[in-house]
Amino acid sequence: MGGPGGRARRLAAAACVVGGLMVGTAGAQSGGDPNPGAMTLTTTMDASNAYLFRGIPQDDTGLILWPAADLSVALRSGGGTLRSITVGVGTWNSLHTGVTGTDGPSGKLWYESDFSASAGLGFGGGVTFATAYTAYTSPNGAFATVKELSMKVGAPLYGVSPYALVAFELEGQADGGVVEGRYLEIGAAPSLTMAGAVVAFPVKLGLSLEGYYEGLEGDEQFGFFSVGGNITVPLTSEQSRFGRWNAHGGADFVRLGDSNALRLGDNTKVIISAGVGFSY
Amino acid sequence: MFSIRGIRRATTVVAAATLMLGLSGSRAWAQAAAEPPDPNPGALTITGNIDFLNQYMFRGIRQNSTGMAIWPSFDLGIQTYSGEGGFKSATINIGTWNSLHTGDTGQDGPTGKLWYESDFYATLGLGFGGGFSFGTTYTAYTSPNSTFSTVKEIMFKLGVDDSAQLGKFSMKPYAIFAFEFDTEAGTGQADAGENAGKYLELGIAPGYTGYSRAAIAFPIKLGMSMGDYYELDGEDNKFGYFSIGGIVTVPLGGTGKFGAWNLHFGAEYQKLGDTTAFYNSDDDGDPQHNQFIGSVGFGFSY
Repeated sequence: MGGPGGRARRLAAAACVVGGLMVGTAGAQSGGDPNPGAMTLTTTMDASNAYLFRGIPQDDTGLILWPAADLSVALRSGGGTLRSITVGVGTWNSLHTGVTGTDGPSGKLWYESDFSASAGLGFGGGVTFATAYTAYTSPNGAFATVKELSMKVGAPLYGVSPYALVAFELEGQADGGVVEGRYLEIGAAPSLTMAGAVVAFPVKLGLSLEGYYEGLEGDEQFGFFSVGGNITVPLTSEQSRFGRWNAHGGADFVRLGDSNALRLGDNTKVIISAGVGFSY
Repeated sequence: MFSIRGIRRATTVVAAATLMLGLSGSRAWAQAAAEPPDPNPGALTITGNIDFLNQYMFRGIRQNSTGMAIWPSFDLGIQTYSGEGGFKSATINIGTWNSLHTGDTGQDGPTGKLWYESDFYATLGLGFGGGFSFGTTYTAYTSPNSTFSTVKEIMFKLGVDDSAQLGKFSMKPYAIFAFEFDTEAGTGQADAGENAGKYLELGIAPGYTGYSRAAIAFPIKLGMSMGDYYELDGEDNKFGYFSIGGIVTVPLGGTGKFGAWNLHFGAEYQKLGDTTAFYNSDDDGDPQHNQFIGSVGFGFSY
């Protein structure tokens, strides 16, 4: 259901990195903007060896594919204290060929389909605040639907883009536990541009505020810590009428808390992924 | 998964795309000076709809008996070629179409899950001189709440957009040929029959875009089996359904930086064949040969 190797990577690729590429190539653009309107479409397709949702193991057998799409609408964009208002809808999906997909009891590939609706505010100084409602569903019936409300605040401090995310389960539970959980994630994604490519080093820490990582001995606070590196290479050197395409790949090292390690059978995992994306 | 997809494609897409284009065209002359710049002059077009219906019929085959059906859909069109001469355009579309049911095949059903159907499709469309078009579509009809087994289909559509010849009027005749594949007995087929089906649909969509505040269309279609598409007790009934409907599409403002939005209403009557009437039986088990469908929804094109 989205985690160290999943949704976080997608958002990093789709928002931060593509955003960085957009800025980086703006000066080189020779043609007109193919999409000067208020809507932006972002899609990605990634392949990975493992899927952990916020440290909770989902599958590490077979091939895992993550097709995703987001449509965002800029309701306001300008100067002043409140510089932007954006709303968006999106879908993120996980297709598994392993034991939770086609090789599993259901025989069906489509392990997860998430729908999200979000609203974001941008302030002076690059401070952002976003809130999102997400429904995590499983088309092949591997888990019960989880509905969640999350809030995220971020700022471009010292070039490392720190952020904090708080999520509240409204119905269903990611850990399959007894009570709906509350989750806190603190992270940063320092990045730099080299020869047109963007290299980022995301770091994150996932914690339970209450009931998010329920284990044999009750709720555990520490869920996971991850550190990774990824590179995004633009495939279109300027703003083409087909949008901005990129190829990206990376790896995350994840250190798991006790309950997640018990599920995985190990307390560490290396997640490798690669894919293509575009923004228009 | 089962004919309103016919209606859906003929109602919603026609309403959201063709009729809106018609309206845009009719008003362009008067609004040239006031029109804002095109918000999306690139090669990609995004289309989305959400519709609410009392009944979902897939090519005449009933999909729900109670409750409401909600159809969110999203399409991305990529114009890969545009030119003059006999071969005028090549377009790739990919999209998803979904049906959410509150009734017996959804939330109130055995699964308790709303998401009855999710389709993925990819289309290669070719445009020719004289308004002729030819499209090839692969569709995977899946059921997230596992009410039916996945159906895979290849569809060919031949159509004519005659609005350039008829002005504000149009007839837009078309023919669809669809072939189910990767099937087994009772699996991977719209009729859950023994053999993979072959489907033929003939239709027209007479329309008028002369009104400034709305566009209207009256789609008429005939759905038939070319082989094993409407199986019942070992017999393939050729006649699937006949449908006639009306659609009104009202633009919500012009085309701005948020694209072009519309509100649309539709009503349809279907006359069903023996197989489709069987699937449309009433509470006493008597086949019903008539079905009425009402719909309302929003759409946008960007």
